[in-house]
Amino acid sequence: MSTDPIWEDTTTGADVPLTEDIAPGTANDPPAGSTEAATLTVDGQTVEASVGSTLLDACEAVETDGDVLALCSYDDEEQIGPRSECRTCMVETEEHGVVPSCSFPVEDDMTVSTDTESASEARDVNLDLILSNHNLLCTTCGANGRCDLQDVAIENDVEEPRYGVLHDRSQLEPIDDSSPFIQIDRNKCILCNRCVEACNDVQVEGVLRMEESGGETRIGFQNDADTMMDSTCVSCGHCATVCPTGALVEQGLVDATTLPVPGFTHKNSAEGIVGEDYERQRTQMTPMKREGDTRNEPRVSRPEPAATAEDDWL
Amino acid sequence: MLEAARDADASVATAAVGSTGHVGLEPLVTATLDGETAFFSECSPGRARSVTEALDGGTLPSEDAVAVVEHEPGAATLPVPDEGPLAVGERGVLGSCGWAVPGSIEDYRAGAGSLPTDLELADALSRLRESGLRGRGRGDASADAPVADEWTTASEAAGDPVVVVNANEADDRAAGDDLLLEGAPLSVLDPALTAAEALGASDVVAYLSEDADLARERVRAAADALVEARDPEASLRVVVGPDEYKAGEPTMALEAIEGNHRLEARRRPPGPSEYGLNGRPTLVHTPRTLAQVGRVLAGVDPGGVPADPGTRLFTVAGDVAAPATVELSTGATLSDALPAVEPEGSRKAACVGGVFGGVTRSLDVPASAPGLESARLGTNGAVELVGESTCMVALAGERAKFAREENCGRCGPCREGSKQLVDLLRDVYDGEFADGMLRELGRTMRETSLCGFGSDAARPVTTTIDVFETEFHAHADGRCPSGTCTKL
Repeated sequence: MSTDPIWEDTTTGADVPLTEDIAPGTANDPPAGSTEAATLTVDGQTVEASVGSTLLDACEAVETDGDVLALCSYDDEEQIGPRSECRTCMVETEEHGVVPSCSFPVEDDMTVSTDTESASEARDVNLDLILSNHNLLCTTCGANGRCDLQDVAIENDVEEPRYGVLHDRSQLEPIDDSSPFIQIDRNKCILCNRCVEACNDVQVEGVLRMEESGGETRIGFQNDADTMMDSTCVSCGHCATVCPTGALVEQGLVDATTLPVPGFTHKNSAEGIVGEDYERQRTQMTPMKREGDTRNEPRVSRPEPAATAEDDWL
Repeated sequence: MLEAARDADASVATAAVGSTGHVGLEPLVTATLDGETAFFSECSPGRARSVTEALDGGTLPSEDAVAVVEHEPGAATLPVPDEGPLAVGERGVLGSCGWAVPGSIEDYRAGAGSLPTDLELADALSRLRESGLRGRGRGDASADAPVADEWTTASEAAGDPVVVVNANEADDRAAGDDLLLEGAPLSVLDPALTAAEALGASDVVAYLSEDADLARERVRAAADALVEARDPEASLRVVVGPDEYKAGEPTMALEAIEGNHRLEARRRPPGPSEYGLNGRPTLVHTPRTLAQVGRVLAGVDPGGVPADPGTRLFTVAGDVAAPATVELSTGATLSDALPAVEPEGSRKAACVGGVFGGVTRSLDVPASAPGLESARLGTNGAVELVGESTCMVALAGERAKFAREENCGRCGPCREGSKQLVDLLRDVYDGEFADGMLRELGRTMRETSLCGFGSDAARPVTTTIDVFETEFHAHADGRCPSGTCTKL
């Protein structure tokens, strides 16, 4: 490295992570996965697992006896998860009892069973618990047919969740329809945290966070905004891409896969809508982000939103 | 009280010490002269003054004293009367509580717990391993598990290790940690510093509740004195977190110390001994554990049963005139703690293990971790007596509601499970007692929750169903046997 002061200047702050000022409201989790390769048994089948593997990786390598649902788990685990929040991936091990496979590191000589009574019960009950806090009007949902929760519920033969579903309209949170690009329906949110990590760890935008606690836990905004449009969102859409349900849906897709039942729409599934003031907003960047972060006038004008998208959400 | 004694203008040495653990005796004044100590409970300032004056005059007043004890002159630990509340249990880790000056290095070193300062890691590990000591309290990362395992993992993990004294226990049913920090903080901090030195870390963090003013003041003073006396280079920080039950969970304690924006439990494994404070290998021990560690490392025979050696602190509270914290050998039973308190009314049950403890009719349960666990009770050191007038269904409901409101919100089984638990209990009041569903939910919460909060949260409900099933049926039939649930 040169001793030229210019070089030194350019390295200033290199150690400061981009996420330094980001407040995602989530725990500083340890790394998941094993530190060593391992050979283990899953439902009687031998599995060779590489360094960094979890039990879920081992389960996915073979045909398991029980369906390990792993609802909140995300395929790309570089920056997103495993958060191990829904606990629908429980398997039974001889060594540690019932454990969450999505984040439990493989160990040599482990014996894993996916279809024991306690593991199956744990997955079933936890799936029903997630469903109990979910607005199950799938037919009006923008994620109908492309929803992980719907998929695992079908896979797990759920016909009537034991704790019921969220159906009292007065209990539903208003839908945040303020952004012309992404609609938020928190009644569909399973708090898997994928969007928070996509926003903070992948896009490094620092818009979303987990806030409150207990039954009030919800996805919120780091600038304390009430609506997406008041947030610092740049409408990159990554949150909607990783969302396993219809909680975050691109406005253009809100009605894409719903079944045409007259009178029933996604917007009237909840009692309230917030953010209608912003209906005519045409820029991709929210005012808060533009004013907060842009010092100069942009040299390139931003593209208008596609006409079809606008037509769909109006 | 101290002012009153000092106002007597006598040439008598006076000192403010910590509690003995017996709240009902307080304000408690002890007067010592030539190997004889008199105890004055519920002492008035006037009486404190007259006691001081009598001492100044060369006599030990004994009139209206609750006890007078003869002992070795210059005794380093509290002389214990033969009978009365102070005679309950034994006073090992509590030895200097209510006797020694909390931040005094001299008083501490005079006690039985003084540690060798040049302990090698291997030696420390072998002493802990041989003792079989287990962690104590829900805030300990090795709660009920061998302490030696935690130390071994931390010593083998990559990175700069750190020791955290987790003293944030918002459940005042378990008062043992605060008692130690207020009365004998050096018996906690010295082993913490020894652990740090043995692991090659010069970093200790004492984590307290923001509301624990006296403990914080005394820990700060004791930490300064200890650092000066042992190693001026050592770092012993005092950090506070919210006075919330969840904030005492070991990983949420780490999150609070790191200053995270919102408290949430961390996923594990790996646990804090591999990935703890700022990702460093971290020993998270409660004051109660560290006090036991100190005795073991000092070469004291911990006593107790081999499966769980040493003593445990139990705070007996609930329907009693005043709570008391006593120290029991793990070979004793919980009922041995009862003479320390004055019960209010006849006892119907007890909830053992704090807000999420287990409900039992009998206290003839071993005071050891395996004994308590096999009786499906909690091990955090709280014994809450429940009188006849308490409705057990309502008690279970209150605990479930607490779980629903206070959980961190991270994992489904705890967040949604506690909500359903409350709803299923409400259904009992509406005539439907779905005991199978309640048990299934309780099992799932216990086995699949991400942290101890969720694992323990359903215990009051499931154990109450086991012990008081008839009361649930009565409620479903529209009747509250104790007559307290008026909305039926």
